[in-house]
Amino acid sequence: MLKVQNLTKEFSSGDQKVKAVKDVNMVVPSGVFSAIVGKSGSGKSTLLSLLGALDKPTSGTIEVENEDITKMNDSKLIKYRRNKIGFIFQSYNLIPNLTALENVMLPMEFAKINSAKRRERAEQLLHKVGLDESKQNRKPPRLSGGEQQRVAIARALANKPKLILADEPTGNLDSATGKVIVDLLKDLARKEDTTIIAVTHDEGIANQAKLTFKLKDGRLVN
Amino acid sequence: MGVISRGVKNAFRNGIRTISITSILALSIAMSLIMLLALKTVDAKISSVKSSIGNTITVSPAGVRGFEGGGTLLTDQNVTDVSSLPNVSSVVKTLSDRLTNGTNTNLTSAIDAGSFGNRQRQQSSSDTQTAPRNLTMPVMVSGTNNIDSLSSLSVSQFNITSGAKIDANSSDNIAMIGTALATKNNLAVDSTFQVYGKDVKVIGIFDAGNNFSNASVVMPIKTLQNLSSQTGQVNEMIVNADSIDNISSVTAAIRQKLGDTADVVSSQDQSQNAVTPLQNIKTISLYSLIGSLVAGSIIIFLTMVMIVRERRREIGVLKAIGSSNALIAMQFVFESLVLTLISATAGVILGFIFSNPVLKILVSNSQTTGNSSQSGGGRGFGGGAGGALMHFGGSAQNTLRDIHAVVGWEIILYGLVAAVIIAIIGSVVPSFLISKISPAEVMRNE
Repeated sequence: MLKVQNLTKEFSSGDQKVKAVKDVNMVVPSGVFSAIVGKSGSGKSTLLSLLGALDKPTSGTIEVENEDITKMNDSKLIKYRRNKIGFIFQSYNLIPNLTALENVMLPMEFAKINSAKRRERAEQLLHKVGLDESKQNRKPPRLSGGEQQRVAIARALANKPKLILADEPTGNLDSATGKVIVDLLKDLARKEDTTIIAVTHDEGIANQAKLTFKLKDGRLVN
Repeated sequence: MGVISRGVKNAFRNGIRTISITSILALSIAMSLIMLLALKTVDAKISSVKSSIGNTITVSPAGVRGFEGGGTLLTDQNVTDVSSLPNVSSVVKTLSDRLTNGTNTNLTSAIDAGSFGNRQRQQSSSDTQTAPRNLTMPVMVSGTNNIDSLSSLSVSQFNITSGAKIDANSSDNIAMIGTALATKNNLAVDSTFQVYGKDVKVIGIFDAGNNFSNASVVMPIKTLQNLSSQTGQVNEMIVNADSIDNISSVTAAIRQKLGDTADVVSSQDQSQNAVTPLQNIKTISLYSLIGSLVAGSIIIFLTMVMIVRERRREIGVLKAIGSSNALIAMQFVFESLVLTLISATAGVILGFIFSNPVLKILVSNSQTTGNSSQSGGGRGFGGGAGGALMHFGGSAQNTLRDIHAVVGWEIILYGLVAAVIIAIIGSVVPSFLISKISPAEVMRNE
């Protein structure tokens, strides 16, 4: 499903160039819950940005379902992010003045799905992630961290993506809630046949993943 | 929830900021509308003043005003030359003279010298010791080739109380006299009186609405030229341009044609006392209008730039979940539009309330600075252009006092247009900034 070859990302820091990701090669099959682990500054988030086409690599290729996203123009990248990718962030990154339901509907609006269908699917997804119906019309500041992350997961699933990228999905949650979220992700990977790649520094989460990639100083060490 | 509704919702995200921005913007828009109204009102007033003044140009011998000054009179040839200039529709020529009882007429003036008259005579007499303290005023006589030209007679009305009008092209010894003169000299229609030793017949008696003119004589110009031995002489021309728009060009052409031999004053020159303060108000209004629109645009521009910077991460999220730059920019444009429309509504209301008070302040400031520039004009014996100067000098104050903004429903339309223009201008750079925000922004500080 995902094939990465010789991926490198270089940043300029004053006069110096810093390689955040160095020559990474990886293959992730469909429907697998994978983890990318590493300490802070190892390049995990940068790698995730590249896989999600949030940033462009300095060199190398990324193939998602046999399509090289590094060769796409801006317009195609927008469609890629809209239709093929779902993101889950450490800080949830929900739109604060939209309700839980409206947040989940947002990606579908960008995909030009009609209003009635958007609402129906959003309600189904929120139910699937276990958010109480009474909380669907609450705005994020009135939801707990765990509830917000459930909404974020539902939003990530909105356009039935083939690949979900989660950046420290349990980073801001207590261990109990974090475990619930990880179980949810594993469940979704299996039931929705969605490939999930979670970036984490938590070895415990990594141990639950079917596939684990270790990053050290921008390089894969396994 | 579409992009429009999101944009609208975002406008109210921060209540305090929304109130602050809309209040300041409302003031800016109100000022724009007030200045726009002032501009239109004053513009209309300037057109009205120019229309009411008419399109006349007064040409008099250089250095001569009525019976004051000195120089050489104009001639019939000058009249012909001016008549042939382009955009000249008509030329009225006049000649004035003074008749003194016992010297060149048997008429007695209907005007008592009084203190003013006696003072004038004493000042004009070289021998103050022998100058009589109480004297007889002269009788003014005007010759014209157009009895219907009120401006050439320096009157605002000319009503025939008995008899008929003279044929202004005649050279017969005929005349019209004012009511006061007729009464003073017991004259009626068909009576005669003496001028330069010749009998002149009264054809009609007129009422010009003022004592000075009602004590005068009007005769055909040829008659006066012959009687006073000033054949072919003219001491004033009233030139009519074919339209207000051509006054400047006709005035310039006359000046060029007659050179230093004539003083040329257009009705628009004379009206400067009334028009200049209005044009000052117009200039102030125009600059204030531009300044207000610029200020409004800057306010909304800085606000939107601030909001975009504040929501960098959120913009990154929107891009990450599949939004295009255009959709995000449109959301911010609608947010900007909501803010400006709210401001425009308040601005229109303020404009309604304050347009006339502000206009009055502008007018009163113009009156204060304009007072020193007014000239009352002189009206010497024999009338002429001096009378016209006095008329316009005096009406300047009335013109300004008379100005009043008509606040109609179009102010709402102007307010809306101003809001849309300000919103668009204020959103252009923020929209550009949005396009430059990388989706990777969402990963920063994660």
